[in-house]
Amino acid sequence: MELQLNRVDYLQVGVTAQKTMRLLPASGRRATQKVVIGDQDGVVTCFGIKKSEAVPVFKTLPGQKISRLELGGAIGTVQEKIFVASGSEVRGFTKRGKQFLSFETNLTESIRAMHVSGSDLFLCASYIYNHYCDCKDQHYYLSGDKISDVLCLPVEKLEKITPILACQDRVLRILEGSDLVYDVEVPGPPSVLALNDGDGGSSGEELLYGTSDGKIGLIHIARDSPVPKWEIFNEKKRGGLYVYANTANVYIDRFIILGFMCLVGILCIDNFDIMGDGVKDILVGRDDGTVEVYGFDSAGDPVLRYDHTLTESVTSIQGGCVGKEGYDEIVLSTYSGWVSGLTTEPTHREAGPGQELKMSQEMQTKITSLRAELEQLQFKVVQERERYQHSSQSTTAVSAVPVFSINDKFTLNKDDASYSLILEVQMAIDNVLIQSDVPVDLLDVDKNSAVVSFSGCDSEPNGNFLLATYRCQANTTRLELKIRSIEGQYGTLQAYVTPRIQPKTCQVRQYQIKPLSLHQRSHVFDQDRPMNVLSLTGQFSFAEIHSWMVFCLPEVPEKPPVGEDVVFYFQNTFLDTQLECSYRKGEGVFKSDNISTISILKDVLSKEATKRKINLNISYDINEDSVGHTLTMIHPKLEYQLLLAKKVHLIDALKELQVHEGNTNFLIPEYRCILEEAEKLQDEYKKQPAHLERLYGMITDLFIDKFKFKGTNVKSKVPLLLEILDNYDQSTLMTFFDTQ
Amino acid sequence: MLVPIFTLKLNHKINPRMVAVGKYDGTHPCLTAATQAGKVFIHNPHARSQRFSTNRLVQSSHDSDISLLNINQNVSCLTAGVLDPQLGCDSLIVGTQTNLLAYDVHNNSDLFFKEIADGANAVVLGSLGEIPSPLAIIGGNCALQGFDCRGNDVFWTVTGDNVRSLALCDFNGDGKKELLVGSEDFDIRVFKEDEIVAEMTETETITAMCPMYASRFGYALSNGTVGVYERMSRYWRIKSKNLAMSIHAFDLNSDGVCELITGWSNGKVDARSDRTGEVIFKDNFSSSIAGVVEGDYRMDGKTQLICCSVDGEVRGYLPSSQETAGSLMDTSVEQELVRELSQKKQNLLLELKNYQENSKQGELRLQVSDPDGQMGVIPANTQLQTALSVNMGSDLQPAHVELSISTSNDTIIRAVLIFAEGIFEGESHVVHPSAQHLTGRIRVPICPPKDVPVDLHIKAFVGYRSSVQFHVFELTRQLPRFSMYVLGNPATTPEPSSHVTFTINERVQRVVLWLNQNFLLPEDTEVQSAPFQICFTSLRDSGTLLLNMKPNGEITLRTDDVDLAGDIIQSMATFLAIEDLPVEANFPKYFDQLRKVLGKVDDSHSVHQKLTADMADQSNLIRSMLVQAEDSRLMRDMKNMKNRYTELYDLNKDLINRYKIRCNNHTELLNNLKCVNQAIQRAGRLRVGKPKAQVITACRDAIRSNNINALFRIMRVGATPS
Repeated sequence: MELQLNRVDYLQVGVTAQKTMRLLPASGRRATQKVVIGDQDGVVTCFGIKKSEAVPVFKTLPGQKISRLELGGAIGTVQEKIFVASGSEVRGFTKRGKQFLSFETNLTESIRAMHVSGSDLFLCASYIYNHYCDCKDQHYYLSGDKISDVLCLPVEKLEKITPILACQDRVLRILEGSDLVYDVEVPGPPSVLALNDGDGGSSGEELLYGTSDGKIGLIHIARDSPVPKWEIFNEKKRGGLYVYANTANVYIDRFIILGFMCLVGILCIDNFDIMGDGVKDILVGRDDGTVEVYGFDSAGDPVLRYDHTLTESVTSIQGGCVGKEGYDEIVLSTYSGWVSGLTTEPTHREAGPGQELKMSQEMQTKITSLRAELEQLQFKVVQERERYQHSSQSTTAVSAVPVFSINDKFTLNKDDASYSLILEVQMAIDNVLIQSDVPVDLLDVDKNSAVVSFSGCDSEPNGNFLLATYRCQANTTRLELKIRSIEGQYGTLQAYVTPRIQPKTCQVRQYQIKPLSLHQRSHVFDQDRPMNVLSLTGQFSFAEIHSWMVFCLPEVPEKPPVGEDVVFYFQNTFLDTQLECSYRKGEGVFKSDNISTISILKDVLSKEATKRKINLNISYDINEDSVGHTLTMIHPKLEYQLLLAKKVHLIDALKELQVHEGNTNFLIPEYRCILEEAEKLQDEYKKQPAHLERLYGMITDLFIDKFKFKGTNVKSKVPLLLEILDNYDQSTLMTFFDTQ
Repeated sequence: MLVPIFTLKLNHKINPRMVAVGKYDGTHPCLTAATQAGKVFIHNPHARSQRFSTNRLVQSSHDSDISLLNINQNVSCLTAGVLDPQLGCDSLIVGTQTNLLAYDVHNNSDLFFKEIADGANAVVLGSLGEIPSPLAIIGGNCALQGFDCRGNDVFWTVTGDNVRSLALCDFNGDGKKELLVGSEDFDIRVFKEDEIVAEMTETETITAMCPMYASRFGYALSNGTVGVYERMSRYWRIKSKNLAMSIHAFDLNSDGVCELITGWSNGKVDARSDRTGEVIFKDNFSSSIAGVVEGDYRMDGKTQLICCSVDGEVRGYLPSSQETAGSLMDTSVEQELVRELSQKKQNLLLELKNYQENSKQGELRLQVSDPDGQMGVIPANTQLQTALSVNMGSDLQPAHVELSISTSNDTIIRAVLIFAEGIFEGESHVVHPSAQHLTGRIRVPICPPKDVPVDLHIKAFVGYRSSVQFHVFELTRQLPRFSMYVLGNPATTPEPSSHVTFTINERVQRVVLWLNQNFLLPEDTEVQSAPFQICFTSLRDSGTLLLNMKPNGEITLRTDDVDLAGDIIQSMATFLAIEDLPVEANFPKYFDQLRKVLGKVDDSHSVHQKLTADMADQSNLIRSMLVQAEDSRLMRDMKNMKNRYTELYDLNKDLINRYKIRCNNHTELLNNLKCVNQAIQRAGRLRVGKPKAQVITACRDAIRSNNINALFRIMRVGATPS
């Protein structure tokens, strides 16, 4: 069944954060629901729609940024009380806008996530979870990494309180009281949680999660252990989405997904039967502006039914009925504060001729009133502008333009080992300057329409390795860039964002490119691989060595974890080699099967220690077998790439033969196969530019590092190595590594 | 919403920009395009019964609608249209790097087959100016040639660089078509027959042009720009990160005015209003667009827009009917308008908020005077000063033009972005000093590679060291055309041996004004009375330029650079509004070079002939040897056969070597011919108006008659009107 939805824009408020818009339950005779939304100016707006006009119900005064907005009420009654979290305060409003609660919590940080259930309030700051009952402190938990969302399984079904924390280190933590019951590893850093079907399913224990790298999954949170049900990976290709479900019997072909996946984080999830087939569908809002509806097939696996793309990230989503009685719709709010609906109501073009006239009349009045408003504003702005200009004559006046908010994200994309930088601003972006003091590659993103221009840069004396400008097309509020880093080369990437607004200002954002930038946290470690070990001892505190770890590796929590010692596992996203870091006060041990990783760590750590004048005793234990092991790990990747390059090279010639001969019967099956798969091969080849060069670079590093530990400098032999790589053969390469 | 009315998947690749529709039998339109391996395919869905079976045209075996035409050389351009009005049907014109073929598809015969030394990069078919018969005009290495249906070249002229695009358009509204030529030196030149009537400088190689209506035409550049010109002035242009592969004028929304349809390298097709450049329709293909054409492909009396992708996907769009005009896009116009107005409102509100916050901050700051810099608070009277000067360079840096940007107080400049076209690698140049080197003054070295006036759009980020938010100062400075020439001392610099002399009827003051506007003079040169002399040194090659003006208005320019002399004369003529200017020129060094080049051309020609004769000999030898070898094989004389085949192998190797020599010879010839063509163009550029056209025609005649002395005489003193 084809789902046809039409977009309607209702209202624009200020910039909104994640999960700050809800629909109030329908009350009385009226079937249409009211929308309540909180923005970063601190204003809570509640409005309904009458004759396609937004009619405000109430609006609060500006205040601190609103980070969450939830609905609640006594258990068993209609959930129509509005709870708003801003700063460290929670306020409650009735549906008429009367404030009935103002609760200043004892949290020192601002609230990042909130859940309300009856008289229980669950709040999370960056690392701290707090449970309040009737505004009295009940339980407390300190998480190992940043908390992005909190949820509690339905109390009425389970008859006990089971809070669940979504944490940045890729786990969901299930609590009871102040204690951890168990944790569940999920495929990416979870960014949002939701109860399945809105009430946790029949058992009340089914939980939906979305990750910041675009995966959605369903987990059954049983009393003692989790049972994963399915996962959806997103593979964005031009023209459509391909969905792979992972149930008990469906094996995900990771190889197909590899290299095509695109980092599109999930910001909000809701359940609503928009298809009208009696089963609640999953509504998903992503940070690239995609809205998706997943239905279920007969086997119970999720299937993509509909998708729509807006130009900015979708911060909240909910299904309901707002615009017109009898027509269901998906209501969503975007980053810049637009509340829009994707409604099942057909637009006027398909309506009867009389109706069309009426519709356009309504539209006309709306447009005229908007125009009038604009004119007034324009007049005011001109006056203010003159005053501003005038002030430039005075010697005492200052020009201070308030800081505009930028929604930015800098994340490692596991599947092609590159970073993606997403910048989103409330206003249209005029231009963005990207500057880096380390060598990085800036890759082209298809979606991006901005005109990029690379400027020549001199590394001396200004220390620039990359200077690029992006001149955006009109009305671009969101810019996505892809950056490829090299491990071992670290520094800062800066983005100067200039929006298209007077007086013109620009804001700079900094992003760290860490020495082991391609590593990712993981929770498994294979002890059987041959390992190189680096051990440090010295007069350093736990906090100091932890800060070095934060400096070296991504995804390490900034706060030192509780306890005496800590162990972190990492995986190299490009080569799949691993790293174990265990450290405590005065001692650190690092194990990796990749000698280059150890070499980089050694260099950076000794440099950092010297900077702080700390004397380090470094010892290392190099396992000769590990080099061979790493080479064997690289081998299939290298071979695949070489073969791919060879095949792609042949395509044109084969096509010519095909045109010449009229058919392909005379070709050997291998060539025929290439011809059949030509498009796929070319696509893949295009998507992994310079993949081979990157692999070559890593093998060269491996070679140099191996002998660096032995104390010999083999830089002069590198051309020889490259020659061998050009005529690649695994055994020759191995011998070369061994015999030097 | 406009949807394609037909979609075809032709199983052939299509070479970009080589697509045409022709009615080769006078009635049925056929889509024709160049494909891989030097072939041209003709898609003829309407006349299936007809079968061609001759040497050139081969029916494609797996697709009955498609016939293939074997050119055996890489096709470089292609078009279809009426070349011979008596034929009553369209002819196909195919150009390669060495040949031009005019082909009658229906009768399967060649109209003509011409060897072209300058190659054919672009072709256009139609009538030009007063020439009665339609011409196939091709553009090659600096040369333009027009052939009529019998293959006589009735039109010939030269242009500044390799031609990349051609179009016919009634540029000056006289009812006759002028030829628009886009070339690799970024210029669009307009030829009224062989006289240049206008010249526009763009920022990149012009890859495509199309007439819109009357004197309006569209153009596309190799940096992703498309736009529309109305005569000499640009109406609008937009730039994309993708490349425009093909442009075409077509009235898609039936409002009586053609839109500019652009096919992009990322597979997008969009239609833009000719007045504003606003997108009124777009669609996406899965691969790059190869060509956009029009034709009545369904034979129902309505013309469709036909878009082809490089993978052989073809879509046809019918113009929307009058009623639905204005809503070609998916979303309704009103919704779009409301969104736009709301966005505007939001922007104004934000701006208002900015001012309010600003004044609030102002009050606050009167109490707390310590600048924390975080918000980027700067004194309101901060000003940005810019100055252009010439820097003579040092050991580390070559001489350059220096743009100095400084603030008027203790604020610092975090970074400077300069957007300008044609003088940097990309469209922008960034100066971003490291944190230790932040100051209130930034010097930007600029080396414009060409003598063109450039607008520098400067954006400077001003704040304090610790700021995260900066004020952006935006301003525009113009870089004068001859900024790379520094004032020198006439006494110490050696006088160049070459010169041009001409006389103008203008006051000295006007000439001085021109100097001030086009050169970076240290301070305004005081108005001198004639005679005066002024001397410049080039920063590029430290060549000297001497300008001498006598009281009677006679101006002498002394420089060894012919191009520079041409540029100065053209610039001066435009500034002083001179229509016709005969010039006497003498460039002994350059003429010597040219003489050598001409000698080389002759040599190359003779070598070429010799090599061709050799090759004929050798192929005869091969034939006989092959026969001998086969004879031996039949007689089972294996030893002899082996010997013969070894000899044959050696001979073959020899032949390949000779072929390589021939190739090199040919490239050399091409380069030299280009030099000759450029020389004629340069000689033309030293003159303005009528004398210019006369010089070009006369030079051409001199070359044709191989009268080299006459050629140099014409270049020196201009053409003597016969």
